Amino acid sequence: MTDTTIPAQFSPDNAGTPAPAAVTTTPAATAAPASESRLADVGRGVARWAAALAGAIAIFTLLLLVKGANPADVYSHVWTSTFTNSPSIQQIFVKAAPLLLGALAVVVPARAGLVNVGGEGQIVIGAVAAGGIGISLGDKLGGGLVMILMAVAAMLAGAAWAGLAAVLRLTVGINEAVSTLLMNYIALDVLLYLIYSPWKDPHGTGQPTTAELADTAKLPYLGTTSIHIGFVFALVATAVVWALLRYTTWGFRLRVIGGNPEAARRAGLPVAMLLLSAMLVGGALAGLGGMVHYAGVEYKLRTGITTNFGYIAFLASWLARHNPVSVVLAALALAAITVAGDSLQLDSGLPAATVNILMGLVLIAVLGWTARKKGGAAR
Amino acid sequence: MSNLAVDVLAGAVGGGTAIMYAGLGETISERAGVINLGTEGSMLGGALAAYAATATSGSPWVGALAGIGAGAALAAVHAVLVIARKANQFASGLTVMFFALGLTSLFGASYVGRTIHSLNPWKVPGLAAIPWLGPILFDHDPLTYLSYFVAPAVWWVLYRSRVGLLVRTAGEHSEVLLVHGYSTSLVRYVSVIAGGGLCGLGGAQLSIAYSNAWFENMTVGRGFIAVALVIFATWNPLRVMAGSYLFGAALALSPALQARGYGINQFALDAIPFVVTILVLAILGKRTLLAAPDELRRVFETRTT
Repeated sequence: MTDTTIPAQFSPDNAGTPAPAAVTTTPAATAAPASESRLADVGRGVARWAAALAGAIAIFTLLLLVKGANPADVYSHVWTSTFTNSPSIQQIFVKAAPLLLGALAVVVPARAGLVNVGGEGQIVIGAVAAGGIGISLGDKLGGGLVMILMAVAAMLAGAAWAGLAAVLRLTVGINEAVSTLLMNYIALDVLLYLIYSPWKDPHGTGQPTTAELADTAKLPYLGTTSIHIGFVFALVATAVVWALLRYTTWGFRLRVIGGNPEAARRAGLPVAMLLLSAMLVGGALAGLGGMVHYAGVEYKLRTGITTNFGYIAFLASWLARHNPVSVVLAALALAAITVAGDSLQLDSGLPAATVNILMGLVLIAVLGWTARKKGGAAR
Repeated sequence: MSNLAVDVLAGAVGGGTAIMYAGLGETISERAGVINLGTEGSMLGGALAAYAATATSGSPWVGALAGIGAGAALAAVHAVLVIARKANQFASGLTVMFFALGLTSLFGASYVGRTIHSLNPWKVPGLAAIPWLGPILFDHDPLTYLSYFVAPAVWWVLYRSRVGLLVRTAGEHSEVLLVHGYSTSLVRYVSVIAGGGLCGLGGAQLSIAYSNAWFENMTVGRGFIAVALVIFATWNPLRVMAGSYLFGAALALSPALQARGYGINQFALDAIPFVVTILVLAILGKRTLLAAPDELRRVFETRTT
C-alpha cells in the first residue's frame, strides 16, 4: 500500500477536493514546483477570502441600515461585549466544542464522499444517551466513571444514528444526505418524548427538563475559566482525525473512495465497510459533541438544547473545505458569531438570530466566491 | 362531540397545505435537477413577507403575493450559488436557510404579536354541508382551496406542457437541451425560482391563513419535511399532494387526541412521518432512486467538492 507517500494536501485550497487516486501515488515528481505555485495559490486564496468577507459585511451593514439600526454602534457594541471581556471570549470556546466535534462528523464522511447532514440528530441523540447515563447513574458512581460512561454511550448512540444512515445507503440505496436529514427530526422527537414524560424532572417548573446532572458528573472547568474540558476533547479529536486521515491506510482509502469509488472498488478495497466506518466515526464524534454540551454546559436535557449546532457545524465543515485543521478556526469563527448574537440582543435590542444573516452571508460568499472552479465537475 | 377522524383529516388538509405548496415547489426544482434545502428559508421568508405586507396593505391577497415574491427571491440566491457559482447544493441550501432565518428574525421582530386582517376559513356554500367530506375539504381558508387546483396544475405543466418538458429534460438529460439550443441554466433558474415562489406561498398560508400569527422560526422544519415528502412522493406532484395530507394528519393527530383527554405524548406521533418516509424509501429502495431525475441523482452521487 502506498499510504506513506500521500502528499501534504491540507492547504485550504485543495483539501476536500480529493485528487484522483492516480495522482496521489506520485507525489515526488510534483513536489518541488508545487511549493511555488502553492504560495501563489495561498496569496490568491487570501485575497478571495478577504473580498468575500468584506462583501458579506457590507451587505450586513446595509441590512442594519434598512432596519434603522446604527451599524457603527452595533459593531462597536458587539465588539466590546464579545471580544473585550473574558467571560464572552470563554463562551466562544464553550460553544465551539460541540461545533468542532459536529464539524468533524462532516469532515470524516466527506473524505469518502459522503454527505452527513445529520450532525444535529447525532448531537441530540448523543446528548440523550449521555443524559440517560447521567440521570440513572449520575449520583451512584464516581464522577470520573460517570463521565467516561456518558462519553462512551454518547459516541455509541451517535455512531448508531449515523451508521443506520450508512446501512440504509449500502443495503437499499437511500441517499445518506436524505436519511441523515430525516433522522435529525426523529432524534429531536426522541429527546422531546423523553423530557416530556419518562425523564421529566418531577420537581421542575416551567418548561419540562430532566433533573440536573449530579455535580460530580459535570465536566470540570479548565483552571479558573468557564471553559469546560470538552473543548480539550474536541481539540484532541481534531488531532486524532487529522492523523488518522493523513497517516493511516484507512484515511488514504477513504480519500481514494472519495476521489473515485469505482476505481476503489476495482482496486479491491472493501468500499462498503469503509463507507460504513467513515459514518460510524463521524456519528461517534457528533455524539461526543452532544455529550460535552450536555455535561459541560446544560446539565439538563431541554427543548432546544442544541439550537441548530449540527447545521452550523455542517456549514463550519464547508467553510473549512473539510480540512480537519482549518475546521478548528471555522468552528471558533462560527461560535464567535453565535456569541455575538447574544451580545446583539442584550446591547442593541436586535434579535439574537440576526447573526444568522451574517453567518449566511459569509457562507454565501465563501461557497460562491472562494472556491476554485473546476469546470463542470463541481455541482 | 365531533368525530375524531373528521377532526384529524380536516387538520391534515389545513395543516398539510403549507407543506404541499413547499413540496410542489421543491418538486419543480428537483425535476430540473436542483435540490433546494433552502425551502425552509423560502417558507420563512414567505411567511414574514406575507404577514408584513398584509399588515401594511390591509389585504391578505397582497400579502400572499409578497410571500411568493420573498420565497422566490431567497430561492434565487440558491439558484445563483449552485447554477452560476457551482456551489454544493446541500451546503448552499442550508446556507440560504440560515440567511432567511436571520433576515426574518431581524425584520420580523416588530410584527410579533401584531394582529392582521387574515384569510379566514370560508365554508363553501352547499359543499360544506356534506357530512364528513364537507368539514374535511370545504371549511378552510382560500389558500387551501387554491392548493386543490395548484397541485394538479403543477402536474399538468410538468407532464403535459412544453415548459414542463424543458424542466424535466434539464433534470434528466441536460445535454439534450443544449443540442436543441436551449439554455439549461435558464431553465434551472426559472424552475428553482418558481419553486421558491411556491414555497413562499406555503409560508404565506401558514402565517396569514393557518396560524394568523408571525413568530420567529415559525415553520419549525416544515420546509425540510417538504424535501423529504418530494422523495417520498417520487417527484410526482399528485403524490406530493397526497403525501402532504399524510404528514398533515400525523401532525394533527396528537392535538386531536389530547383534546379528547387521551394522555398521548405527541412527540412519539410527531416522529411518525419521518419514520414512515424512511421505511417507504427502504421498501421502495432502489426503485425510488431510479424514479429520481438523472441529473439530480448525479447531485447525490457527486462528491464533496
